[in-house]
Amino acid sequence: MRGLLGFLGVRLVRALIALWLVTTVVFVVMRLSGDPVPLLLPPDAPRSEIARVRTELGLDQPLPVQYGVFLANVLRGDFGRSIHFREPAFRVVLGYLPATIELGLTAFVLAVVVALPIGLLSAIRRNSLLDHATMGLALVGQSAPTFFVGILLILGVSLKAGLLPTSGRGDWRNLVLPATTLGAFAMASIARLTRSAVLEVLRADYVRTARAKGLAERLVVLKHTLKNAAVPIVTITGLQFGALLGGAVVTETVFAWPGIGRLAIQSIYNRDYPVVQCAVFLSALMFIVINFCIDLVYGLLDPRTRPR
Amino acid sequence: MAMTRRDLLKSAAALGTAAVVPATLTKSAAAQTTQKKELVVAQGGDVAFFDPHMSTSSNDIRVSFNIFDNLIARHPDGKLQPALATEWKLDGQTTWRFKLRSGVKWHNGDPFTSADAKYSIERTYDPKNRLRVNTVLTSIDRVEAPDPATLVIHTKKPDPLLPARLAFYGGQIVPKKYLESVGPDTFNQKPVGTGPLRLVSWTKDDKAIFEANGDYWGGKPDFDRMILRAVPEMAPRVAGLLKGEVDIVTQLPPDQGERVKANASTRVAGALYAGLYVLAVNSGRPPLDNPLVKQALSLAIDRDLIVKELWRGRGIVPSGPIAKGDNHFDASLPALAYDPKEARERLKKSGYKNEEIVIETTSGYTANDKPMSEAIVAMWRDVGINAKVEVLEYSVRAQKNTQKTFKGLWWSDPTSTLADPDGMMWRLLSPGGPQDYWRHPKFDELGAAAHFSVDEKFRGQAYREMTKIALEHLPWIPVIQPYEDYGLQKYVEWTPNPNQQFEVRRFAFKFKRA
Repeated sequence: MRGLLGFLGVRLVRALIALWLVTTVVFVVMRLSGDPVPLLLPPDAPRSEIARVRTELGLDQPLPVQYGVFLANVLRGDFGRSIHFREPAFRVVLGYLPATIELGLTAFVLAVVVALPIGLLSAIRRNSLLDHATMGLALVGQSAPTFFVGILLILGVSLKAGLLPTSGRGDWRNLVLPATTLGAFAMASIARLTRSAVLEVLRADYVRTARAKGLAERLVVLKHTLKNAAVPIVTITGLQFGALLGGAVVTETVFAWPGIGRLAIQSIYNRDYPVVQCAVFLSALMFIVINFCIDLVYGLLDPRTRPR
Repeated sequence: MAMTRRDLLKSAAALGTAAVVPATLTKSAAAQTTQKKELVVAQGGDVAFFDPHMSTSSNDIRVSFNIFDNLIARHPDGKLQPALATEWKLDGQTTWRFKLRSGVKWHNGDPFTSADAKYSIERTYDPKNRLRVNTVLTSIDRVEAPDPATLVIHTKKPDPLLPARLAFYGGQIVPKKYLESVGPDTFNQKPVGTGPLRLVSWTKDDKAIFEANGDYWGGKPDFDRMILRAVPEMAPRVAGLLKGEVDIVTQLPPDQGERVKANASTRVAGALYAGLYVLAVNSGRPPLDNPLVKQALSLAIDRDLIVKELWRGRGIVPSGPIAKGDNHFDASLPALAYDPKEARERLKKSGYKNEEIVIETTSGYTANDKPMSEAIVAMWRDVGINAKVEVLEYSVRAQKNTQKTFKGLWWSDPTSTLADPDGMMWRLLSPGGPQDYWRHPKFDELGAAAHFSVDEKFRGQAYREMTKIALEHLPWIPVIQPYEDYGLQKYVEWTPNPNQQFEVRRFAFKFKRA
């Protein structure tokens, strides 16, 4: 029990350090990128007015002071007011979160449901037609630019075949094309990694032993192979999940999907520091939570990684 | 650089074209009329502000001119018509009397009175409010509301264009009582106007839903609901139109027009932009302080080629700094000449010493900005100018605009807000104006005199002389006056407005019914 608590404690400290680093980097980079004030005021605004807005936004303070204020506010859960939308940044980001989670989760489920069986089958039937076809497709899926896949899907599936809406958020039909587009990369990388992880295990001595003792192939695969191949698969799957939830700028833009990625990019253009900081913070938080969950799953899968 | 994102999008779009036509042909006969009660519009970006005084961007004014009314309206034919004011007249030189429409109600049921109009006008230039339209109505000295149906405006000096100013942005009338009670932030999120559209809901970067105002004094629009979608990429926006999900798309690029026309159920409607695309010049920086160099730059641009190749013919070559369609546009002036030989001559005469000349462009902030910059720089190099393109992000451009730190030339697409040179050339190039990089005593004297003159003959003469000066000194190098195209379903009867207003009132918009 004490081992587990220690394990959790170390993880928590690491997570906090990671969060702190991310917020600090974003804070510095945003300030290096330029000044929000010219975007807020009419082009012919007098200097006094510019100075007034700078004071109001706290931009006249030295950077370390600004940083201190920022950190203190974040600790209180306050990300400041959006410069562009003129409402609390947290509320703005929260408004975009449902669309992001809906799309990210669907893309993830789609990717896993398709990729795992394909990876497994192509490993078992190595060098078969199925193996070559699916792995070829996976290579394309991993290397084709997202916007290109998205637009081809819109033109083919939506416009030519008339099956699904071209863009926008609505019911499940609106979700199919963007989730496929977004999930394509994750799908391809999970399938490829599953295949190689399984192949590796299939070469292991204990698999040969299992076969030698006459165990049914089904059991060899499910009981001995899959369980042992699970650690890398879980890792890549988890990482992909984090990436999918972090927002998908290109997919969101092509499909006019109101997600966090588009908000973040737009806010960078608008120099809306508070919104960018809040969006990146939340994305990092999700990523860290998922990583933490992966660590826990390792323990379940492989007793050797359990803390003692 | 092998292939840009745009190029790929274009080829993807081209791939789609051939396949699209047969699928849509079958429903074409029925598609000429509709029973729809809902208008769906897709534009390139989301609404940023519903408060009409906080923005002048086209994505916002498409909406704000329909949620709100002005005292006076500019119709698509360019004429000024009564709106919240039914009559107005100039009393002496500086006093304007407006009779206001009676019985008009705000969307929340409050009655509209002259107090709202007074509050609204004074709000725009009060520095405390820090509004984007702060300079529009600054010719006004004071506003009086002697009774609920009368408004009196006193201008500081004679202002012949006051009605035109009141008809464009800055002139939208906002509700005093509501705005004062909820404050500007809530007002921006939950706007209340007198116009034909009432905001029902808004999901940022997705869609805004509006309800037709059944009590609208100008008649309820020809639909029950309007949905305004933000679709940033051009390819899905056009696909949505071709598939019939969307009734009107804005910002249709010239190379997509043929696709929309080829499709049996859709068409293109365009209006000659009430403004110009110009290369503004930082005339303070050598060698751009030398008029001969600027003349060479202008003469070296093959504008016909740009119109033909980059705009597919959807534009005209300007003759000077006044847009066609504006007051005092001189139809007798020839289009700006392309003469590379003469350009070389003037360059030689100017003593140009191969200094670098830079166009700072955004990529896609104004249509075709980057392709035009690249084409023009190539044309300049052909006559021996050491020219270069630098690409800026939009916010950097905004910063340079405020701080007046452009290195050489940059794109500006001024809208002629008043359908008059005063609302374009003088608004931007006047001393202290947003593009004050060049001064010429005669130009300044004439511009200021025309600004305050109610004598149209004198103003015409002044603008002719200012045009001559501008063509010699070129504070702007005008490049094109483009068409602004929209893609529509054939069952939509709609007249685009040259100044980017998106008019859904009865007189401009109708569904064709069977």
